[in-house]
Amino acid sequence: MTAAAEASAGTIAAEMTPRQRRVIKTIDVAGLIITIATVLGAIFWAFPLYWAVVTTLKPENEVIQPGIQLWPEHFTLDAYVHVLFGTRIGQWYVNSLFTATSVTVGVVAISALAGYAISQLKFPGRRLLWWIILASFMIPVPALIVNHFVLMSQFHLINTYLGIILPQLVYGPVTVIIYKQFFDSVPKEFREAAKIDGANEFQLFFRLYLPMNWGITTALAIITFIGAWNQFLWPFLAATEEPMFNITVGITQVTDAFGVKYARDLGSAILAGLPVAVVYLIFQRRVTQAIMLTAGIKG
Amino acid sequence: MGNVALSHVTKRYGSVQVINDLSLDIEEGSFTALLGPSGCGKSTLLRMVAGLEEITAGSCFIDGVEVTDTPPAKRGVAMVFQSYALYPHMTVRQNIAFSLSIAGANKQVQEERVKEVSRMLQLDQLLDRRPAQLSGGQRQRVAIGRALVRDPQVFLFDEPLSNLDAMLRVQMRLELAKLHQDLKTTMVYVTHDQVEAMTLADKIVVLDKGRISQQGTPLELYNKPANKFVASFIGSPAMNFFKADVTGQDGNAVTLTLPGGRTAKIATRGGKASVGSIDVGVRPEHLDLAAPGTANAAFECTVRIVEQLGNSTLTYVETPAGQLIIEGEGNLQVSPGEARSVVIETQHAHLFGADEQVI
Repeated sequence: MTAAAEASAGTIAAEMTPRQRRVIKTIDVAGLIITIATVLGAIFWAFPLYWAVVTTLKPENEVIQPGIQLWPEHFTLDAYVHVLFGTRIGQWYVNSLFTATSVTVGVVAISALAGYAISQLKFPGRRLLWWIILASFMIPVPALIVNHFVLMSQFHLINTYLGIILPQLVYGPVTVIIYKQFFDSVPKEFREAAKIDGANEFQLFFRLYLPMNWGITTALAIITFIGAWNQFLWPFLAATEEPMFNITVGITQVTDAFGVKYARDLGSAILAGLPVAVVYLIFQRRVTQAIMLTAGIKG
Repeated sequence: MGNVALSHVTKRYGSVQVINDLSLDIEEGSFTALLGPSGCGKSTLLRMVAGLEEITAGSCFIDGVEVTDTPPAKRGVAMVFQSYALYPHMTVRQNIAFSLSIAGANKQVQEERVKEVSRMLQLDQLLDRRPAQLSGGQRQRVAIGRALVRDPQVFLFDEPLSNLDAMLRVQMRLELAKLHQDLKTTMVYVTHDQVEAMTLADKIVVLDKGRISQQGTPLELYNKPANKFVASFIGSPAMNFFKADVTGQDGNAVTLTLPGGRTAKIATRGGKASVGSIDVGVRPEHLDLAAPGTANAAFECTVRIVEQLGNSTLTYVETPAGQLIIEGEGNLQVSPGEARSVVIETQHAHLFGADEQVI
């Protein structure tokens, strides 16, 4: 701050009425309280994560010692070594990556096309279709699990990638709704200009509507991927053989004949969650935007 | 180049009739303005020519070929939208080349056409920018470039200057006029701004409630309005109207008793004025201020407001016929509160009957 600016700030402070000073003081105090509350909340939220990480770095006998030990006496990577080399975690990672990516591509492609059709095309039953999609939003996924299982079983798709992927494609009517809303908000002049330029519906979709809503697509893709990666119930039911497990199901198999090994269990859980955490850290803003979108708040 | 013909065209949205049995011929190479207030159906008419609105009844022809049911892309038209409708995720180059790329033209052809058009519109330096990085005038030029690159038979403009500020609007108006002179392509231009229509078009079609109120050259419409609607819509400041009583007619000359008791003789355009009340219309520049008590004055008046615009002076006066606007010279010496007389240049006055048509 220059001398002149300092002098000016001093003058302003001197000119303030006691009431104005009180108001500023109140704001500072409120800010302080909020900051402290936020920090405490963050500690409260982060402590289990910290505890999990610290536990995985302890030898097993140290883990089961009574009392709270915030820092390991002896550091060891035994738990990770066991999980990485003593289990099929590599295969589970591949399974998760393949199924989550397939679900993401499928959900985004189907939702974008469905959203475009409902938003921009005029065909008989369009309104009915829209109401069905809205209504399906209200049906909880677990309510469909038995139907899905019977259906996949009849198609002989249990214990196949397709069997794990297909039912998850209908988990996201909300993505159709979001796409529809975004396509609705594209000014109709773009469509008309492109029509005059000779574009057909596919060209309109792939060259205008999709690129113009690229941000939404990436946001929805990320959140769909995270959701598919974290999916447990359906993959748990659809895969009964260990080589077909994805990571969330696989880590339930990291047990030992001699009892529970907490460090190993937590190590496998941390390794399972790591890719999602990395994806989140890289695309933090997009994920926040997607969560706001799915909550009905336009980002 | 192509002419446009609309034959008994009607447009309905449910029970609402927007265009009502309208027929119109737009000559090849002309610059035709569709002029009218909001909701008169001018944009709908343009969109029907473009193929963006279905025609409920009637036919549309471009260059002699019926295109009533032809898709927009196959009509040989290009349209410039009010909002420009530039694709925000594409560069200027991609925007201009879009139609060529859709048509499957090879890259070299696209590049050559883009260069040609961008040179014509002075967009060469902006080809790699996106629409968000351009000013309003530049966006407008890109929108024109996108239309130009298609080499259309007919250009359609839907209020293309209404989003620009006043100065830029004047500049773009000039550029459009130059473009028309250079290309000599048929242009149809929708506007609610009569100044734009008057300055750009060689033919103006005034629309009112989905019907053609009058069509003709700008000066025809200005000097010989066919009805009260056109008379009031064309011209700024607007024409003055007041009631008078017809007391007699000798040939084309109608004798009127004006509010305040004085009489005037105004010529009709061949029509017969029925005895009784009639509307008289006089443009502000055809009224003159004179000294109080002038013998041939129509009214005695009191000056209320004086607006000195430099090149002219607008004087709002209170007369027995109500408030009138008088447009005088820029250096006119007059002050609010003064008593004056108003003289009508009767050779420029218009008479409108009860059906609001000129007599």
